[in-house]
Amino acid sequence: MKHANAKALLEKYFVGETSLPEEALLRDYFRAGDIHPDITEYKDLFAYWDDAAKIKAPARRRRLPVRWLSAAAAAVLLLFAVNLWITPNPEPELSELVITETKTVDWSKYEVTDEKEAYKVLRAALKTASTSMNSSTKGVIQEVGEAAAMIR
Amino acid sequence: MDHFSSIITSVRDRLYRLALRVVNDADEAEDVVQDVLVKSWKKRDEIVGLDNPPAWLMRMTKHQAIDRLRSAKVRDLREREAALPDLERQTPYQLAATNDTLGHIHRILQQLPTDQRTVLQLREVEGMDYQEIAAATGLTMPQVKVYLHRGRGRIRELLTKEKIMPS
Repeated sequence: MKHANAKALLEKYFVGETSLPEEALLRDYFRAGDIHPDITEYKDLFAYWDDAAKIKAPARRRRLPVRWLSAAAAAVLLLFAVNLWITPNPEPELSELVITETKTVDWSKYEVTDEKEAYKVLRAALKTASTSMNSSTKGVIQEVGEAAAMIR
Repeated sequence: MDHFSSIITSVRDRLYRLALRVVNDADEAEDVVQDVLVKSWKKRDEIVGLDNPPAWLMRMTKHQAIDRLRSAKVRDLREREAALPDLERQTPYQLAATNDTLGHIHRILQQLPTDQRTVLQLREVEGMDYQEIAAATGLTMPQVKVYLHRGRGRIRELLTKEKIMPS
């Protein structure tokens, strides 16, 4: 393209009246390098458009969007909280409890046979009864009854 | 590869460049394209049946990028309000010393209104005709012509003002 044509086309370009083929001619003119001194500085503008067309989308995401991660974390916490709330705390079955004493206790060997020992037991029972006197009459009667049964 | 995937493959770079032109940030542009692809995947059956699927995708990218730009501006404003004054901000002279001409042209372009920038991008970089640009932006043909005229004129004016180019 002749320099005069290029200058005229450039004016047409800046007022937005060029067609796509005319704009392609202008690009080729500026890429070729033999540019009229009056319009040589416009070379950078067309070089800029050429560079911009070479930009490619990144192949993979470089980072995860923070707002998505925040939303995911919030959702996980919410699910965890809801799960805790709706799941009842199960009562342990009787069979699951550990039973440490399985043998029958032979209480007869703990029976009081000695008179002195019987007196000690009775005294201790009466002492306990006296401290409980104010709180429950029923308890006192029970304590005395149990002591009497032991020394009988 | 199915029809939808081939459409995405053919248009993905264009979507990214358009998003980048609007938001002017590589990470944000990538997020915009990702959002568009996720949303379009959900509507893939409708999209493959359209007359011009790439135009639909570009229009969606433009809207998504503008939304992102608005929320980024609000965020930046809040951050600036909360931050201490930046005492180490570069002076115009320091900026000029570190700028090359292409970088300067880029900054001038980013000063243009979003619609003008978008139309210029689609015309100058993607080589689209007025009708294609109108379909991809949702603008009318006369609007496309006006924005292209104003955008080019404004670039020339700003470059001339900055004495990068002859008047």
